[in-house]
Amino acid sequence: MSQAPPRRPSGPPPGPPPRPLPVADEDTKPFWEYTRKHELRVPKCQNCGKLYYPLSPICPHCLHMGADWAKLSGKGKVYSFIIARRRYHPAIPVPYVVAIIELEEGIRMTSNVVDCPPEDVRVGMPVEVVFDDLSPEFSLPKFRPAK
Amino acid sequence: MDTRDLRDKTAIVSVGYTARQGAVPDTTDMRLALEACKNAIEDAGLKKDDVDGLLLQPTMGGVHSYNVAAQLGLDLRFTANLDVMGASSGCIAGYAAMAVAFGQANYVLCLYATTEHSVGFAGGGGMRPRAGSEFAYGAMGAPMSYALAARRGMDEFGTGPETWKHIAVNTRKWANLNPRATFYDKPLTFDDYYAEPWVAEPFRRADCCLVSDGARAFIVTTAERARQLKHPPAYIAGMGQYHHTANVAQSQFNTGPTAAKQSGADALRMAGITLKDISACEIYDCFTYTVELTMQSYGFFKPGGGKDFFKDGRTAPGGEFPVNTSGGLLSEVYYMGFTPLTEAVMQIQGRSGERQLKDPRYILASGNGGILQTHSTIILRR
Repeated sequence: MSQAPPRRPSGPPPGPPPRPLPVADEDTKPFWEYTRKHELRVPKCQNCGKLYYPLSPICPHCLHMGADWAKLSGKGKVYSFIIARRRYHPAIPVPYVVAIIELEEGIRMTSNVVDCPPEDVRVGMPVEVVFDDLSPEFSLPKFRPAK
Repeated sequence: MDTRDLRDKTAIVSVGYTARQGAVPDTTDMRLALEACKNAIEDAGLKKDDVDGLLLQPTMGGVHSYNVAAQLGLDLRFTANLDVMGASSGCIAGYAAMAVAFGQANYVLCLYATTEHSVGFAGGGGMRPRAGSEFAYGAMGAPMSYALAARRGMDEFGTGPETWKHIAVNTRKWANLNPRATFYDKPLTFDDYYAEPWVAEPFRRADCCLVSDGARAFIVTTAERARQLKHPPAYIAGMGQYHHTANVAQSQFNTGPTAAKQSGADALRMAGITLKDISACEIYDCFTYTVELTMQSYGFFKPGGGKDFFKDGRTAPGGEFPVNTSGGLLSEVYYMGFTPLTEAVMQIQGRSGERQLKDPRYILASGNGGILQTHSTIILRR
């Protein structure tokens, strides 16, 4: 359950709110450094060799702390999706598609399906990664119908 | 020692409501909490100094056990803030039952209070994935996450709005019999259902629970003590909990079986009964799909069987298998798992007024938290 923005902010906002950006901390920073170079990489445990996601300092399979960053093909399928028709954030225009993408390597990622009318998105649809350069620091991996 | 040794050895003996439910602006969750506690104590016919245990599902607003105890003037032998999100209700009742059975406390007061409607949602922060990127994708809030699970379920089970509309309408009919319910005066037809705005397609507003202000409390004690009190005891016949820890997107539990499967099996085993013995269910209905998937995971029907299970008013007033008889989280009020559990108590005690079921023997109440990640089950009997 993601945390909803507070309904009554403590003071008036200084201007139009900026588009929400990802959070880069000690454990997530490499992910965003790679995506800036338009590479999709996730941790691969140095002990058991399994991939894991979401980003974490510890392998959920063997509890080893230490991973390399394995490059993914960026190809996958839509596991599920929803269409946001009402505005959830002032800086994000509607409609848009939020989807869980099942990547070839078995990892699932929450993302957007883009370059496709929302009505045409289907469960099981083949997709490939495309990078949205949101800011100088952050490029978001999103997915479009596979060519 | 086995949970079966606890079968029928403890009971829920009272329910504390607040006079105002739903939209209660200009108050605090603490005030509502204290009112519900007072009412639960009086409803049992107890004096406040009888209460020596307190378990509550905390809120960010400062409704914590030590604050509540201080304002009620309670000295406690047993207390904790206990948060397993929507599953907290059943977990709290279970821990309370164990505590009274083993003499750690005599009467455990159990509480949830919220001003989510007027002040905003304060919980669930722990569910945020570490990547912290969900907001950047416009992925915000529980409705979207559950809608993602539900959209997958549509493909796997062939259900969807055609099934969910029955859940929404049947539940609303129960609310129309409950004067406390937010939607007491608002009937819902299938046409109304389809006319509701999208929240996150495939969910319309009528697929989503209310967001409410108010509080709900109940008291757990031993069976022997329970028999001396004002109302007939709602014996805790069975209890279970199970928690899938997988991250939402990775989770296989979007389409189940959810933790309801293991939680329910434990509760039935403790009670020594099967699903056939259950007279009615009070299911944690944060969304219509949650009802379909939870009951499917319990084993009431096979995957996809929800298509027929809820049809023709089967779970509505007068139907053969009543579900969510107060109007539930969809149409009564959203107090997490305290809404379904306290309604199960009222039904077992025969105090549900116009919506009272005829001689319910066993009622199953569920709690469900996170995105289908935590689960609790309580089976009550007369």
